[in-house]
Amino acid sequence: MGASFEEKSVWVQLIAIVIGLGAYFVLAGMQLASGAYEIGSYVGLFIAGVVALVALMIAGHILAAVREQPENADERDRQIRWRASHGSGWVLGLGVIGAMATILLGLERVWTLNLLLLALALSECAALALKLFYYRRGF
Amino acid sequence: MAVEPLEITNRIRELRESSGRMSQKALAERVGVSRQTINAIESAKYTPSLEVALRIARVFDEPVESVFVCA
Repeated sequence: MGASFEEKSVWVQLIAIVIGLGAYFVLAGMQLASGAYEIGSYVGLFIAGVVALVALMIAGHILAAVREQPENADERDRQIRWRASHGSGWVLGLGVIGAMATILLGLERVWTLNLLLLALALSECAALALKLFYYRRGF
Repeated sequence: MAVEPLEITNRIRELRESSGRMSQKALAERVGVSRQTINAIESAKYTPSLEVALRIARVFDEPVESVFVCA
């Protein structure tokens, strides 16, 4: 079965997040390992990651739209969205608890900030992966 | 009290073929869902809402219980 525009859009979002924010977290991790704790030194990197993410999403959606006419989401798409966000919220929850732990342990603020960003990114990736799972396997 | 989920099959493919080989896309347009959703319903990967089930039955002019059957 060929993928719908909605499913292709999920692939585009997942790939864009993995590449755009993945690159940010690899470089930010290297900076953290080298002892750079100034939040300012992560801002440029983060903006570059977000710009890459947005550019990839725009390019990917244009490509998907060229291949198949975009359609409005139907009831199955909406149920898949709901199930995926319901099943991925715990990732964000764990990240928030981890971020609270960094504060309690007295770590630099940059750890808290990056841990929260990582939790957001992983939670979104988990939601997108769950959507693909439901599109392919059904429910 | 937990109840076993019903296993629901359907006759959509058979009805499409007996209605002049109606395509999944044509049925999807009449029902108001995507072609992929019709495919998922046909292959029992997705159980539609009552509204979509009734719309499908109406396209084939059949009662809904004759289109969707408990296995």
